[in-house]
Amino acid sequence: MANYGMLINTKKCIGCYACRTACQRQNNLLPDEAFIRFEEREVGTYPSVRVEHVPLQCMHCEDAPCVSVCPTGAAKYGTDGIVEVDQGRCIGCLYCVAACPYQVRVRNSETGAVDKCRFCTVAAQDGTKMCSCVEACLTGCRIFGDLDDPDSEISKAIAETGATPIAGDLTKAKIYYVR
Amino acid sequence: MTFEPIWGSIIAWYLFLAGLGGGAYVSAAIIRWRHPEAVHAIRYGRVIAPVVVIIGLCLLMLDATAGFHHPLRFALLLTNFGSVMTWGVVFLGAFTVLSLIGAGLDLAKRNVPMWLDIVAAVFGVCVAVYTGCLLGVCKTFPLWNNALLPILFLVSAMSTGMAAVLCVTILRAPAEFDRLVAFKKLHYVFPIVEIVLVAALLFVTAFSASPSGLESVMKLVAGDCALAFWFLFILVGLVLPTAVETWLLFLSSKEFEESRSAHMIGLASDVGVLVGGFVLRLLVLIAAMPLTLVTPWY
Repeated sequence: MANYGMLINTKKCIGCYACRTACQRQNNLLPDEAFIRFEEREVGTYPSVRVEHVPLQCMHCEDAPCVSVCPTGAAKYGTDGIVEVDQGRCIGCLYCVAACPYQVRVRNSETGAVDKCRFCTVAAQDGTKMCSCVEACLTGCRIFGDLDDPDSEISKAIAETGATPIAGDLTKAKIYYVR
Repeated sequence: MTFEPIWGSIIAWYLFLAGLGGGAYVSAAIIRWRHPEAVHAIRYGRVIAPVVVIIGLCLLMLDATAGFHHPLRFALLLTNFGSVMTWGVVFLGAFTVLSLIGAGLDLAKRNVPMWLDIVAAVFGVCVAVYTGCLLGVCKTFPLWNNALLPILFLVSAMSTGMAAVLCVTILRAPAEFDRLVAFKKLHYVFPIVEIVLVAALLFVTAFSASPSGLESVMKLVAGDCALAFWFLFILVGLVLPTAVETWLLFLSSKEFEESRSAHMIGLASDVGVLVGGFVLRLLVLIAAMPLTLVTPWY
């Protein structure tokens, strides 16, 4: 069984939002519903300053707080280390939204249920070859793959770049960032 | 990104009403123990409890939009006993049934067994603590994720429950109100304890590991929420009731204390406690800042 994760190289990110738009199309999301959230900030000291773009999405934590707090069992661990939301069980209480330390869960304003990144290449029925955000990225920021396979592209890239989860050991997150 | 609070005023009303309901039944049990002759006050406590808790539960279901559209999904609430919310559903369910039975027996002029009052009061305490634990387990928000919050909510719940019972008693059974001396003195203590707990919560949160703790505290004491915090919660909800009750209970003459104008001043002070209780819930919900919006890069 695979243990899927993603690497995002923020040094290459230009903040074009193509990943977010591709994700919205792939997953048929509403215009006001996005699984990728961008945080921007200024880094460096004058005169060599730049804007850092940090795309945030579900980290598919191995110890997911959303799964622990979900009262109906709608938030659950699926196969291959993917955290899922069973839309048919969700009552929309938003407890998972509050419990997620990364604030990447969103409510679908039509159904009222909560949703988030699905790692679409594996989870979706008509999955793309890669997650749509990976395919759409113009600068190749994103790598998707099996974290348990030491020969996978992502495992090698993590070892090479020293990528780490966004907030240390806050949770056992599976999105790694190069920053 | 500007952070939008996840839960707003509907959930604040729910947290407030659930706590108030629990506190009201506990009040009825305490009055039965110390002032068994005050049958009206006891009845008001027993009746207020299920009414406000049921209103709160309706608000909760309204806010859970996906469940509101598919009501059968609410049955799934009992599937994850690792979730505080599931325990809350158990406590709220048991409390609603028990308090309805208590209120029904009382209104039908039947004897309410002592064990029923005790068990319902225990579940009332559970409901009040649960409203704090619900927020307390969310590691996302330093303002919530500490052991003081459930205690603060419990004290506030008891205080608002007692205030609600006293308000109705002042209006409908003033003679009985004058005899509830021990109960009023107990009620007097709660806002004082609450001031200490709020100060402790703010200090602990301000010095938490993440800067979002300090940010939440600053939002309360000097930011967007400052007016509501200082004026509605601290002044109207805690300090004025304490000052007024100190005067009425300990300093004024007995004749004045039992006069109708003193009753109205007491009523205003208890309404202040209720306002403060609601504003506390609302402020705790909207002032909490999440860990990672301010810290992903640290």
